Amino acid sequence: MSEKIIPTREKILANIRIQRFTPDKDRTPYFDNFKVEVETGMTVLEALRLIKNQQDSSLTFRAFCRSAICGSCTVRVNADPVLACSTQLLPIIKDFGKASVTITPMSNLPILRDLVVDIDPVIEKLAKMHPYLMKNKERIPKTLEQESLMSQKELTQFGQLTDCILCGACFSTCSAVKVDKTYAGPLSFAKAYRFSIDPRDSFRGMRIQASMDQGLWSCVQCRKCIKVCPKDIRPADSIRDMRRIAIDDGIHDTPGSRRAKAYTDDVEKFGQVNKPMLPVIVNGTKGWAAIEAAEVGLKKHGLEVTRQVCKLPGQSGSAKVYSKIREIEKKGK
Amino acid sequence: MLTYDVLIVGSGGAGLYAALKSRIEEDLQVAVLTKVYPTRSHTSAAQGGVNAALANKDSTDTWEQHWFDTVKGSDYLADQEAAELMCREAPEVIREMEHWGCPFDRTKAGKIAQRPFGGASKPRACYAEDKIGHVMLHTLYEQGLRHGVNYFNEWVTLSLIHNGQRCLGVNALNTRTGQLHTIQAKAVILATGGYGRVYWNRTSNAYGNTGDGAALAYRAGLPLKDMEFVQFHPTGLRRTGILMSEGARGEGAYLLNALGERFMSRYAPDKMELAPRDLISRAIETEVREGRGGPDAEVFLDLTHLGMERILQRLPQIRQLCIGFEGIDPIEEPIPIKPTAHYSMGGIHTDINGLSPIEGIYAAGESGCVSVHGANRLGGNSLLDILVFGRRAGNHALEYARQNDFQPMITNPLATAEARIQKLMDGESQERTADIRREMGNLMAEKAGIYRVAADLKQAVAGLAELKVRFKRLKVRDKSKIFNTELVAALELENMLDVAEVISQGALERVESRGAHYREDFPKRDDKNWLKHTMATKGSDDRPILDFKPVTISRFQPEERTY
Ligand SMILES: Cc1cc2nc3c(=O)[nH]c(=O)nc-3n(C[C@H](O)[C@H](O)[C@H](O)COP(=O)(O)OP(=O)(O)OC[C@H]3O[C@@H](n4cnc5c(N)ncnc54)[C@H](O)[C@@H]3O)c2cc1C
Ligand code: SF4
Ligand code: SF4
Ligand code: FES
Repeated sequence: MSEKIIPTREKILANIRIQRFTPDKDRTPYFDNFKVEVETGMTVLEALRLIKNQQDSSLTFRAFCRSAICGSCTVRVNADPVLACSTQLLPIIKDFGKASVTITPMSNLPILRDLVVDIDPVIEKLAKMHPYLMKNKERIPKTLEQESLMSQKELTQFGQLTDCILCGACFSTCSAVKVDKTYAGPLSFAKAYRFSIDPRDSFRGMRIQASMDQGLWSCVQCRKCIKVCPKDIRPADSIRDMRRIAIDDGIHDTPGSRRAKAYTDDVEKFGQVNKPMLPVIVNGTKGWAAIEAAEVGLKKHGLEVTRQVCKLPGQSGSAKVYSKIREIEKKGK
Repeated sequence: MLTYDVLIVGSGGAGLYAALKSRIEEDLQVAVLTKVYPTRSHTSAAQGGVNAALANKDSTDTWEQHWFDTVKGSDYLADQEAAELMCREAPEVIREMEHWGCPFDRTKAGKIAQRPFGGASKPRACYAEDKIGHVMLHTLYEQGLRHGVNYFNEWVTLSLIHNGQRCLGVNALNTRTGQLHTIQAKAVILATGGYGRVYWNRTSNAYGNTGDGAALAYRAGLPLKDMEFVQFHPTGLRRTGILMSEGARGEGAYLLNALGERFMSRYAPDKMELAPRDLISRAIETEVREGRGGPDAEVFLDLTHLGMERILQRLPQIRQLCIGFEGIDPIEEPIPIKPTAHYSMGGIHTDINGLSPIEGIYAAGESGCVSVHGANRLGGNSLLDILVFGRRAGNHALEYARQNDFQPMITNPLATAEARIQKLMDGESQERTADIRREMGNLMAEKAGIYRVAADLKQAVAGLAELKVRFKRLKVRDKSKIFNTELVAALELENMLDVAEVISQGALERVESRGAHYREDFPKRDDKNWLKHTMATKGSDDRPILDFKPVTISRFQPEERTY
């Protein structure tokens, strides 16, 4: 016998606090409160639309596909950037206990109105990365009579990265963007890396250069971009990988890459990093000032100064690891 | 005044392909004007695949078989020479996408992978997991960045300007500033997507798929073709209309009514849940009408018997969608679903080059109607349509722009657009966009949706006339110039009301059932009287005038459509 289906559907009256700002009307942003009956299944976007349709038609936000694929609707809910259209409201309200939730626009970008920010800076930075395939003549046939051949394995290397919907959540949360307005932002590096490892592409060098020009070594690897990405792109990992291919390709004349290279070289040589000399290795002769200042400090505390670390007992072990890696790399090539 | 040789309205697959084609040539000024940032366009939502007889999976596949499948799928309303052209050119445009970096999945031999699709006799849908539209749109956008395509993002086109023979340009609203602009252009390509939003909450379409291009063309005196044909997908989520793909039923999901019965046994005892889309949509409607639906007029897609392991392994996306958009976990409870308006077969009438009856005005993609889909589009053919006809329209518009000079602009081209906006701002009643829009959606879903019958359709036509009167007095409350989304919504509603009227009128006059158009009072296809396209133009009394145009039959004689 079949059983009747009675779905469980709950409702809670909640307070939704939204940041408002209309440039031809307001001097500074402020908050408005709206009472909304939040029910099972309601997304943040549905709540915003309900408010717009029934309470205040001037409430301004972006949304288009309402199915988490167009990347229009990013807002911050209790400070975390999310896609409004795929974020369930009821669990957040229950979690919070106070039947209240705060919605603000993305950060790191200029506000145009209410929850709408200007995303042109994101796109302009992306555009500088050569974010498109440049044909590798060895892989892509001359005419449209034939497809280029690529294995599923090759595709898998970068497949996940093609999921990026340019929603800007990572840009909004990025620690490096916050302090450096010229920093390209997580998604741009992810995109640059995606093309750089596509076997059908021939423009990797240009992209590595463009990445370095836009702060490849400024990322502090806080990994916040990984946490907020709705498509699991893991931009911080792409940045790490981009740095690796930059070094592999010998394009590494930047402070960050010199630091990375010094770390690996030192570990091989000494079993540890030669910290006292790092400033000079990383920043060139400018680094001496930092070293001298540090030495003055050490002397004041009565400590002995050295410019060369000793070999640690484990050095032979790490040297072995390195030679093994080289062997593997050789075979790989 | 802004001036371009070729102006493309819309940045979905059709618009971007046309733009790229014209931009690569470099000798002309080309721009794309779009309501949303290019990658937000609804092309990104396509999941399943794009058809081309590459014969990578089944070496016996040919473009001729693809052609036959398309014509049969269309219930013989497609123009056969147009469908032929599309299927013939398919492999080439797909390879071009691939050469531009589109990440199609691969076969063991390293070629583009292909999967079977409803209505196709061979596995020929090229795919990229379940995000084919997204990767295609991004590939086109990326190549556009490379070739320096100009974009006007978040600009809404309000009207087409022509002098009766030739295209002059468009009027558009820059939503960021609230400024109106006339853009002069030798050629305009409308690539504004479909009109599924006419059914407002009962659609899988994006908020902006409001049939703007069709309405613009209609108001400019151009004919709309076959507008009554709207494809419904049986399984959209209850609240949002978001699609639960056919994959779920393929894995063995049951369709249950609120009494918990597998009701398909009444309608398709053999195929059950795997019956064709239109049949299932109608079955669901019947269950609900007869009182066996849930509290929200829904039925249920039940996966629970498949067990956690199988769901997690085979249907993780579907589960994610249910959790994110409906707040339920299909491992634990059945998914509430309703049929949802999915694809607009009709559109702006064009020839095989995308050209409308006015020189220099083109339409391509879902906004146009060549017609290759006839009364029913096959899955995977729409993404193909936007590439093939986006390209053709682009090429033809370029040639036209090269060979012709700018025509003198009419005096004060902005006047009517300005007056229209002013009127909305000053509206004399308290009518709200949201209310009229919701009523329109419900009216269309109930009276001109999956099941149609003369009495209902007459009510739809009358109801729409009333809503239009109410619209005339509507007032936009938001007075800001900057990013006034309430104003944009009102303009879109005006477009949808016109489109809805044409759909209902066409559905009322077409006294047969064909493809997606199902008349309860005329349940049979009638080739003797109705093997013809509906052409709607705007009459002087603001009402649609219908005319009919024969279908081009070059090879396949109509037969009964059985699967
Ligand atoms: C959920 C879903 C799944 C689908 N899956 C498939 C599939 O698997 N295979 C398949 O072949 N097809 C599929 N389709 C259909 C297919 O995706 C669409 O038909 C196709 O993408 C339409 O492309 P387009 O370029 O014509 O329009 P769109 O991509 O809709 O673009 C329209 C453009 O016009 C612009 N625009 C509209 N009005 C204006 C205006 N007034 N002023 C300025 N700009 C304007 C918009 O900004 C947008 O850029 C699916 C559709 C949906 C909804
Ligand atoms: S890991 Fe780097 S890119 Fe990612 S948020 Fe932190 S600083 Fe930004
Ligand atoms: S990387 Fe992720 S968070 Fe950043 S834009 Fe792309 S999808 Fe959004
Ligand atoms: S509306 Fe498209 S991602 Fe949310």
